[in-house]
Order: sequence, then structure tokens, then C-alpha cells
Amino acid sequence: MSPSSSQSRRSFVARSAGFLGALLLGRDVLTPGGRLLASGPDDPPAIPNEIVAKALKDRFGDRQIRTGHVQLDMPAAAEDGRVVPVIIESDLPMTADNYVKGVHLIVDHNPDVHVAGFYLTPAIGRLSISTRIKMKRSTWVRAIVETTGGDVWAGYTHVNVTLNGCG
Amino acid sequence: MPNVTGEARIRLPDRIARGEQILVNAIISHPMDTGFFRTKDGDPIPAYFINEVTIVYGDQEVARFEWTSGISRDPLVTFSLKADREAPLTLTWKDNKGGVYRQSADIAFTAA
Repeated sequence: MSPSSSQSRRSFVARSAGFLGALLLGRDVLTPGGRLLASGPDDPPAIPNEIVAKALKDRFGDRQIRTGHVQLDMPAAAEDGRVVPVIIESDLPMTADNYVKGVHLIVDHNPDVHVAGFYLTPAIGRLSISTRIKMKRSTWVRAIVETTGGDVWAGYTHVNVTLNGCG
Repeated sequence: MPNVTGEARIRLPDRIARGEQILVNAIISHPMDTGFFRTKDGDPIPAYFINEVTIVYGDQEVARFEWTSGISRDPLVTFSLKADREAPLTLTWKDNKGGVYRQSADIAFTAA
């Protein structure tokens, strides 16, 4: 079997699994950027609207936002959108000449998409931050970090929200 | 859970060794009102939330957080810190109505 047909079969299997998974989970099958349907697990979710696009552009300009080095842990399903736990961790260096200077938490469909910015110095050592946030509805959450060297890395997770926590 | 606005608590590990990577846990009582809700009588509840947190270790500012009303009521935050010297750790929370709240805890090493 040629690599390309193997690839397309794998792709078909992945899409079918995604479709079934979406049915089982009650997700919108056609949602662009849906992890199982439109992209691989390492691809960033699609930018859903102009507000998120602007929030990213304002902070990172035209720099590439690469996926990796950032772990964003949140529940896959949050019953109460008023209190959703968040843990952000990174294995990026925190040395005097190269460190993560900013961590940005962006919730795609919140009234204020840029929920928090955490500005750091090497004094914090290995990066770990946790807090609790409000979420309006089911959507993607982005944790994007910026290093002193100008690199931008991100981790993403999708959270299903039952009760609107933003009014 | 503290319940007077601005009442804050910092929790450190019971034992800290010099140079250890620790987690600092801090909570402050604050309504974190978004401005989107109304009272039962229909009056709007104005936005009232912590928008800045600074963390000073000894005489050095080690981190600064910029928050919105998207952080949950009674904001809780846990962050890492490299405990490389004995010094006070002071958190200062500021809100959008000019409120300033401060709490300190001493980083001290356990005798070997």
C-alpha cells in the first residue's frame, strides 16, 4: 500500500472516530477546529472570531504561535461555569537570560477573552500556576506563553460548560 | 473561606529546604463582580474585581498578575517559587475601585 493511501485511510478512520465521538459526546460535528474532525491533536483550534484574533495580534503580533511546552489542564466538562479550575505548567527554561516572561489565558467565547496575564521572572523557577476562572459557554481555552527570546508557545484544551458563569 | 472583602491568606509548605521549588497558595475574599449581573430588584451590579496582583520576595518583585472579572469569586492562585533565601513574601492585590489589600508570609528554612 502506498504511503498516501495509507495516510488517507488513517485520516478516514480518524474522521469516522471523530464523528462517532462527537455523536456520543453531543458535540457539534461541524464545529471548525474541533479536535477530532478538522485537525490533529497538536494543531491549534481555529480562531473563532475577530476578538480572539485581535487579542492574539495585540500581544504576539505576527509571530508564529507554536503548540508545545505548555500544559493546560482543565476539566473536559465543567458543570459550573462560575468556577472552572485551571492549571498551567511549562518545561521551558526559567534562567536569568532565557525565561517565560508572560503567560496569557484566553477563553474564546468569554465577554472578555483575555482572562488573565501572568508576568514572571526566573525567581519563580519551574513554571506552575493554577487558579479558577469563569466561563460563559463550551469553548476552547488557550494558554499562550512568551519567552524573553521572543518565542511564543501554547497549549489548548476544550471545556464543555453546563452553567454559564458570566451572566 | 474568608468572607470580609480583602481578607487574604497565604499558605506555604510546612517545611522548606533552601533552594527548594515550592508552591505558594494565596486566597483573597472578593466578589469579582463582572458588571453583567443585576440584583433581585433589577439594579445593575457594577463591575468590582481585583485587576492586579504583585508578588514581592524580599526586596524583589518576582511576578505580577493582571486579572479581569473572568477570575472566579474569592480568587485563589497557586504559583511556583524558588525558595533560595529567607525573606518575607508579600502579595498585594488591587481592585478596580482603588482597594489595596496586602498579606505577607515569611519564607524560612527548616533546620537540617
